[in-house]
Amino acid sequence: MADINIGKAPPNNAVLPFYATATIAFWALCLLLFFDAGNLTNHYFNPHLLAIVHTAALGWGTMVIFGAAHQLLPVICERDLFSPTIAAICWYTLTAGVALLIVAFYNFYTGWVMISGGTLIVLSACAYFINVLFTSHICIRYSVVKLFVVTSGAWLLFTAIAGLLLAINLRYPFFSKSHLEILKLHAHAGLAGWFLQLITGVSSKLVPMFLLGKSARQKLLLYACLFQNAGLLFFLLDGYFFGITAARVIIYVILVAAGIVCWLMYLYDAFRSRVRKNIDIQMKHTFISFLCLGAAILLIPVIVYAAGSRWAILYGALLFMGWITGIILGKTFKTLPFIVWNAHYKTLSGKVKVPLPKQLYSEVLVKWQFRLYIAAVILLCAGIVINATVIIRIASAIWIMVSSLYVINVMKVLLHKTKIVS
Amino acid sequence: MTISLSDPFSEEKLKAQEALYSVIDPELFVNVIDLGLIYDVAFDGDNIVVTMTLSTPHCPMGEAITNGVQNALEKVFPGKEIRIDLTFDPPWGFEMLTQEGRMQLGLK
Repeated sequence: MADINIGKAPPNNAVLPFYATATIAFWALCLLLFFDAGNLTNHYFNPHLLAIVHTAALGWGTMVIFGAAHQLLPVICERDLFSPTIAAICWYTLTAGVALLIVAFYNFYTGWVMISGGTLIVLSACAYFINVLFTSHICIRYSVVKLFVVTSGAWLLFTAIAGLLLAINLRYPFFSKSHLEILKLHAHAGLAGWFLQLITGVSSKLVPMFLLGKSARQKLLLYACLFQNAGLLFFLLDGYFFGITAARVIIYVILVAAGIVCWLMYLYDAFRSRVRKNIDIQMKHTFISFLCLGAAILLIPVIVYAAGSRWAILYGALLFMGWITGIILGKTFKTLPFIVWNAHYKTLSGKVKVPLPKQLYSEVLVKWQFRLYIAAVILLCAGIVINATVIIRIASAIWIMVSSLYVINVMKVLLHKTKIVS
Repeated sequence: MTISLSDPFSEEKLKAQEALYSVIDPELFVNVIDLGLIYDVAFDGDNIVVTMTLSTPHCPMGEAITNGVQNALEKVFPGKEIRIDLTFDPPWGFEMLTQEGRMQLGLK
């Protein structure tokens, strides 16, 4: 073999436990949504809704993203993962932290349980950031994608620290500002800093790779990075020091939205030049998730100017259940079967006939998952808009079906046994 | 990969090509020959040197593909020393797909 490093996939314990835990968290999230459907018609600052949001953001979104990132960092940086041990520490601290935090929020234990949970999440974010920094530090080439991965990791750490301070503030108040105002800053650092920038960076690498498309317009990604970070940074500084005001919020939203437009233009450019013409169901999931992100952003002026918390809850539902969930539901079956396939068959390839990665899961279940996901998003949003608990409960029942199909399919992949095709 | 009939190893190269048709890129479901990943297979005594590329540097399936090439050639040329020279110069491009590869990817 020549001396070009094509990289070794990180050991499975740096990746698969995250997928398995996130899958269970997603199922738990849908159950919580079902049993607490009524809370989606109340103010967003209530214990059960806080538990639901943190299950979605940490147990589901962050957990699966950590797993995928440990697998993809070597692809993005063209080097091996810095430390699989740190990746494992990341899982232990995140899992324990999420469990403590969810119990604490659900029962509103504002004491050591919530603070310990928050501390573990901060440790997990630290561990992840160390792996990101050191893996990208030894990158051969500079790339905007790498920049996004680093900035998103930094925003996650910032969000986790802010969250821990908020948890301490609930028990031992020390913030001179309103808790709810700082909560908005914490939430947006997580959404526009961690999730948006990580998804922007990773999708800018993966979507062209999956479609066999190319875009020479790398500058669009640089503008995306600048606009997204500038908008978020101004929002946080202004919001903390001068208070959140409607007119200025719109300016920051426009900046972040400009960053999103630049990113989507880059993806569209790669999509237009794609070699692979067939669009599979996983890519359709991604497309619907982008629509949800667009709808959430268009909703911000309504949240700012309209009274009541229904629009804020709709905004959260579109982001967590529409955008983040949509992209994960699709991308799971673009990554996980390949990770598991590699572990079982990479040494057998060419020797004997082996199954293909797509044969490790059920495509029929993914099709149904996609259909039910669309129905669940539409009904959930409709239920929130018309303030109808019964519709939200029906939507949540469909979410339980979506998560059950997802659990079955992910477990089918994770529990796959090596077999030779005769 | 092009094979000249005047090449003294054309017969071996055709045999190697035939074997490599069985090595599939697990993500694209197209074999490495039709994807244009194999630049050259050189025979030198007991050594076989495969010069090849991947569709993207640090491709997550890279190890599986290079292992597949190694295994497929070991099967048809037992006792030979197989070496794989991975290169990204020139980098892989869509124009390297064969007509069959383009059809399998749904291209006209």
